[in-house]
Amino acid sequence: MPELAIEGIDIARPFGGFLALKGVGIAVPAGEIRGLIGPNGAGKSTLIDVLSGRAEAWSGTVKMFGADIGGLSVQERRKAGLARSFQRTNIFPDLSVIDQLEIAARKAEQPNIDEIMAELSLTALAHRRAADISYGDQRRLDLALALIGRPKILLLDEPAAGLSIKESLDLAHGLKDLAARWGVTVLLVEHDMDVVFSICDRITVLHLGQVLAEGTPGEIKGIPEVVTAYLGSSV
Amino acid sequence: MSDSASPRDPGPRTEKPRYARWLAVAAVAFGAGAALAASVSSSLAMTLLTQAIITGVLATGVGFLIRQNGVVSFGHAAFYGIACYAIGLALRHKVMGAEAAILLALFLPTALAFLLGLVIVRIPGVAFSMLTLAVGQAFYEFAMKARHATGGEDGFSINFPSRIFGVSTSLFQNPHSMFLVSWGTLVVIVLALTAVSASPFGRLTAAVRENEERARFVGYDTLLPRVAVLAISALVVAIAGVLFTLYNAFISPDVLHWSLSGSALIMAIIGGPKLVWGPAFGAIIFFFAKDVAGDATEHWQGIIGVTLIAVMLLLPAGLGDRLSLLWRGKAGHA
Repeated sequence: MPELAIEGIDIARPFGGFLALKGVGIAVPAGEIRGLIGPNGAGKSTLIDVLSGRAEAWSGTVKMFGADIGGLSVQERRKAGLARSFQRTNIFPDLSVIDQLEIAARKAEQPNIDEIMAELSLTALAHRRAADISYGDQRRLDLALALIGRPKILLLDEPAAGLSIKESLDLAHGLKDLAARWGVTVLLVEHDMDVVFSICDRITVLHLGQVLAEGTPGEIKGIPEVVTAYLGSSV
Repeated sequence: MSDSASPRDPGPRTEKPRYARWLAVAAVAFGAGAALAASVSSSLAMTLLTQAIITGVLATGVGFLIRQNGVVSFGHAAFYGIACYAIGLALRHKVMGAEAAILLALFLPTALAFLLGLVIVRIPGVAFSMLTLAVGQAFYEFAMKARHATGGEDGFSINFPSRIFGVSTSLFQNPHSMFLVSWGTLVVIVLALTAVSASPFGRLTAAVRENEERARFVGYDTLLPRVAVLAISALVVAIAGVLFTLYNAFISPDVLHWSLSGSALIMAIIGGPKLVWGPAFGAIIFFFAKDVAGDATEHWQGIIGVTLIAVMLLLPAGLGDRLSLLWRGKAGHA
């Protein structure tokens, strides 16, 4: 069995007045693209926040390649190779595309700016102010900031949100290709089921802060509880 | 997902700082100041100009904080006043020589801002502004109450030695020569802050200002850069305090009062804090508007207030920004 890249063991975390995560366990082997799906309020983004260090777990353990990273700061996790993108576009709006990629690259052991810009079709936008580029380009820039330095693990929170169907599928297949070439492990939160089912090796379904099911896309489509709780007639 | 550009293509890069151009502009600016000092014979006009430039240095420090950290301070008069009192008290109580007192006056506010910054820059927005106001007023109250040391509300005169750093003290107290010293200092400060803004440190602090969370998630500690900006800003303000003290040889708690911080803020907003030179430009406009309005009415603050409202509504990026756009447009058509 391949080494586990990222693990959340028995994670509990409140959000507002209720428990958003109630003892969630997730284990993603190295090199896998794992989909994390579930209805709104299931705890998907909260789990990403806990794994990335943005939020602290009430209880439970977070491991990266077998090492407990629960005590590490966001910056230390990034240095160890854990990067993330955000549900809302999270860039530096007043800076040019190249300026912000250079800032990110200064903290990276492999400052692969040209490679990233080419991969994400940002080369022609290098000197444009980030606030002035299209929403789709901003989403790709957000992803580029996460990809600088070739992270080992990528946590993506709805990277296709707000993109057209074509843009979403292009992004998805580009990601799959990139993950295969770089050997990066991806945990992908996404509501676009076409994206999830077309690129994920396995899928974890969260419902009301708990893991409802886990399996390959084919297995997930065949679980009645998942269809009832989330998929409905969409697949 | 990839475009046609080769990964090996070095591609575009951030524009390199144009040091030679900046130095040339600084030399021209200094020359223009020297020509102005030579052409204006009125001591009154030169006094007004010198005060405007010294306050311009103060506003430049306040503006640098807005520009790089995106926060507004209502307490920078504390750093200005501490510099003034450091010199005044050291010489009044004969603790050290004038040169050492000046160095202390630069060090103390900078160190205080750094230590204070470790706590207060964590606080966002209005709460930060209120904290700076509280800290500033605490120093003001202390200067008012500690009469035995500070002279209280009356303040005190400072007896400088005849020479400071080998230069005749009279040079610092003559409006023409002090204008040149202040103007030269302002030009050097604007040049230095321009270089800082264009440096990797400057770009990082701009990124932190724009989106602190993202900066943390690309691997940066965001506290120290913001603290460093506050300390640099305090150092600039302290330089203004030193110039003020050398020129006036008199200090009172007014140099610590929040209204001075407020005036510096108004100057920065009028001039445009997005430009390094904008706040100093705003200070010059402020002083002349104050002088003209003061001749017309005792309610000159009302005129300044209306000017501020007009600038904020019509030119939210400041008069300096509009001037800069006009200049670039003209240069573009040339």
